[in-house]
Amino acid sequence: MPAASAERRVSRESIAVSVRDVGMAFGDVHAVRNASFDLPKGKFLTILGPSGSGKTTLLRMIAGFDAPTSGEIFINNSPVSAVPPHRRAIGMVFQKLALFPHMTAAENVAFPLKMRRHDARAIPEKVERYLQLVRLGGYGGRRINELSGGQQQRVAIARALVFEPDLLLLDEPLAALDRKLREEMQLEFRRIQKELGVTTINVTHDQREALVVSDEVIVMEGGRIQQKAEPVHAYRSPANTFVANFIGVTNFIEGVVAARDGALVSVAAHGRTLTGVAVGDAPATGGACAGAVRAEQIRIAPRADALDRLDTVLAGTVADAIFEGERIVYEVRVPHLGDQLVRVFDHDPVNHLQFSPGDSVCLGWNARDMHVFKK
Amino acid sequence: MTGSRSKSIVIWTFVITALVMLSAPTIVVLGASFTAGNIITFPPEGLSLKWYGAIAQASDLRQAFVRSLIVASICTIVSIPVGTLAGIALAKYRVRFARSIQIYLLLPFTIPLIGSGIGMMLVFGNMGVLGSLWPVGIACCVINLPFMIWAVTASASNLSPDLELAAANCGAPPLQRFLYITLPAVLPGVITGSLLMFILALNEFLVSLLLVDARSVTLPVQIYNSIRSIITPDLAAISVVFIASAAIAIAVLDRLVGLDIFLKSK
Ligand SMILES: Nc1ncnc2c1ncn2[C@@H]1O[C@H](COP(=O)(O)OP(=O)(O)OP(=O)(O)O)[C@@H](O)[C@H]1O
Ligand SMILES: [Mg+2]
Repeated sequence: MPAASAERRVSRESIAVSVRDVGMAFGDVHAVRNASFDLPKGKFLTILGPSGSGKTTLLRMIAGFDAPTSGEIFINNSPVSAVPPHRRAIGMVFQKLALFPHMTAAENVAFPLKMRRHDARAIPEKVERYLQLVRLGGYGGRRINELSGGQQQRVAIARALVFEPDLLLLDEPLAALDRKLREEMQLEFRRIQKELGVTTINVTHDQREALVVSDEVIVMEGGRIQQKAEPVHAYRSPANTFVANFIGVTNFIEGVVAARDGALVSVAAHGRTLTGVAVGDAPATGGACAGAVRAEQIRIAPRADALDRLDTVLAGTVADAIFEGERIVYEVRVPHLGDQLVRVFDHDPVNHLQFSPGDSVCLGWNARDMHVFKK
Repeated sequence: MTGSRSKSIVIWTFVITALVMLSAPTIVVLGASFTAGNIITFPPEGLSLKWYGAIAQASDLRQAFVRSLIVASICTIVSIPVGTLAGIALAKYRVRFARSIQIYLLLPFTIPLIGSGIGMMLVFGNMGVLGSLWPVGIACCVINLPFMIWAVTASASNLSPDLELAAANCGAPPLQRFLYITLPAVLPGVITGSLLMFILALNEFLVSLLLVDARSVTLPVQIYNSIRSIITPDLAAISVVFIASAAIAIAVLDRLVGLDIFLKSK
């Protein structure tokens, strides 16, 4: 057998989930359009997107609750459209948990084992082991309504994991929790996922969660996958203005392409020329474009000479200063950009350099930090 | 201060009046049943249990009571599967014409009982089964079924559709999902509905009157027949037994599912 084809087979076998041109239409509403991606075994994928972008719909199709109206989903390389949900080895944590209220915590966790006909004698021991894994050892006898929100969450996780599924699906299970508990649970997910090595698809609209816990991120909007990338990559090199706007705090400067020099693009905006880096199929000269600069890439200083090593320097007036604890967000009105408000993060721990609304300031950034997208 | 006091006086006056009006018949009957005299009076003349002794001896009353229990049991046993399935179907699945069905279920309340009673008398009469007890049970079931369905629908609509999906995700095929998840979730409604059906069938008078003959009189009909001759305190005593049966049923309900679900059910 030729080496190349053997190699291809190995790489195919390491794919846990493969979504091929999947679409879902509810009448006229196209909840998901032409979604395609591969997820390797053992990876943690987060689907990120605004409300109504089709995240839950995609997850429900993978779980088998809804059949795609087009395309096919493969799990462990087998097409699954004909497989009902109870025959798919998928564990799921629902947004509203969906724990069985008339059962105890232990009975909830034992339910998948009973339904999947595991050896009855081994069940109690296994249930206890998974309750311990989610740090609920000894809580098995409690009824669901006798547990706190975070504890219920962990019962739901144990129930989804106990039968060692091929795939774990999480549909915003953390959305209802307060911030502190949510961040704790995010790390908990990560720990458990690493410990068991189970392939996981997580849905959220919390960008922080997506960046913290995932190996890969998919950003969805309007039913379409906008980008699939590693978190760092999605953050640093967003594929389009939607992704740039959705993850992080980004300023957009609209203009037209004045000139191109390889990847470098000169953008004419409000009578000035700003230099940036083209992203994707960048526009031709004369085409409308948007330059995107992250709030944390912009330096702020009282005078221009403090910023003379930066490629772009603009003067402005502080319109608002918002104290956020670990950082201050300034909104600066920039006359050269048509009085646009530019958001800038400042966290200078040494000087506690602070500006007040009305102060004159200068803003500066490097050409490589402005991404230029086609409009 | 005085405003809120006079308000609470008004409210309490209403509450007490209502309680007195609601409980007066019960208290009168209860009092009259313990009389030592030979005619039904309130307040009773002296105290005795002799009329309870009398009804325990009266075989016709005893047999009528047993018949009523049988009728109530038949009605309940039939209504449990029918009402549970219909209630779940109406609450959970997109049944075609669900609205019309719900309105149709109101009909038994809008048609005078005498009307449906006569209808059933004709049907069962044609079938030649009048005189046995089961047609009475079925009739009670038919006219009271909406209560059962409502009790079940109330619990079933609290049931999140996610629960069944979660069960499917846990590997449960459809039948198991129904048995392990849906049924336990609607059980409080089923219990509430069954006890309600039992009490209603036990007390059912008008329809029974039309469907029974001399060999199959139920207790309410028997009491009615007795009133037409002489009113003796044994009727008060048997009424108390009746009230006690209903009270026991409600106590059972409270123990099994708690009364709040009953009070809350639509
Ligand atoms: N059963 C349905 N019938 C009709 N339209 C639906 C149905 N389910 C979802 N949709 C529509 O499909 C789109 C995507 O919905 P979906 O629930 O997948 O969004 P989501 O990304 O999970 O949003 P959220 O973050 O708010 O949960 C929405 O416009 C929604 O209205
Ligand atoms: Mg959703």
